Amino acid sequence: MSDTTMITNILTVMLLLVGVFFMLAGTIGFVRFPDFYSRMHATGKCDTLGEGLMLVALIIYGGATFISVKILFLMAFILLANPTSTHAIAKAAYDVGLEPWRSFDSEEVAWLNTGDGDTDNTGNTDEGRAGEDSGEVQ
Amino acid sequence: MTGASLFGIEMVDIFLAMAILIVMASFVSLYRGIEGPGIFNRIIAVNVIGTKTIVLLVLIGFIYERPDFFDIALVYAILNFIMTIAATRY
Repeated sequence: MSDTTMITNILTVMLLLVGVFFMLAGTIGFVRFPDFYSRMHATGKCDTLGEGLMLVALIIYGGATFISVKILFLMAFILLANPTSTHAIAKAAYDVGLEPWRSFDSEEVAWLNTGDGDTDNTGNTDEGRAGEDSGEVQ
Repeated sequence: MTGASLFGIEMVDIFLAMAILIVMASFVSLYRGIEGPGIFNRIIAVNVIGTKTIVLLVLIGFIYERPDFFDIALVYAILNFIMTIAATRY
C-alpha cells in the first residue's frame, strides 16, 4: 500500500466518523428536544453538516472521476435544498400559529405577550428571571 | 477506486458499519415520526429520514461498486425537496 492511498483512507474514515457523529447527535436532539422549533433547530443544521462531511469523505475516497462530480452535484444541491426546506417548514408552522415552547410558567410572562408595557410590570425586575426579559417590554 | 484496506480493516466493512449506524438513526427518527404530536413533526421526520437515505444510497453505491445508485440518490434528493415544499404549501 502506498502512502497516498493510506492518507486518503485515513482522511476518509475520519470524515465519515465525524459525519456519523453529527447525524447521530442531530437524531438524539430530534427525539429528546421538547418543542417543534427546537427539534428543527437540531435537525436542520446537524443533518446538513453530517451529510456534507460524509459526501466529502466519499469524494476523497472515489478520487477524481465522473462519480465524484456526481456526488459533488448532489452535495451542492443538498446544501441549497435542506436549509430551504427547513425554512419552509418553520414558516408554515409559524403561519399556522404554533407557539414556541417556554421554559417558565405562562402566567408569569403573560404581560410580555400583551405588549402594552405598563410601568408596574417593570417592578418585578429584581426577581432575576424577569430581568433578562425586560428588554422586550419597552 | 483506491486502496481496499486500512490497518487490516476493509474499507467496505467501514462503509457497511456507517450504513448500519445511519439505518439505526433512521429508526430512532421514525419513532418521532410515528409518536410526534402534530403534522409538522411528521414532516420533519420524513425530511430527516430522506436526508439519511441519500447518504445511505451513496454508501450502498460504494459498497457494491455500482454507480447507478448515485443517480438514484440525486433523484431522491430532488424528490425529497419537492415533497417537503409541497407538504408545507398545501
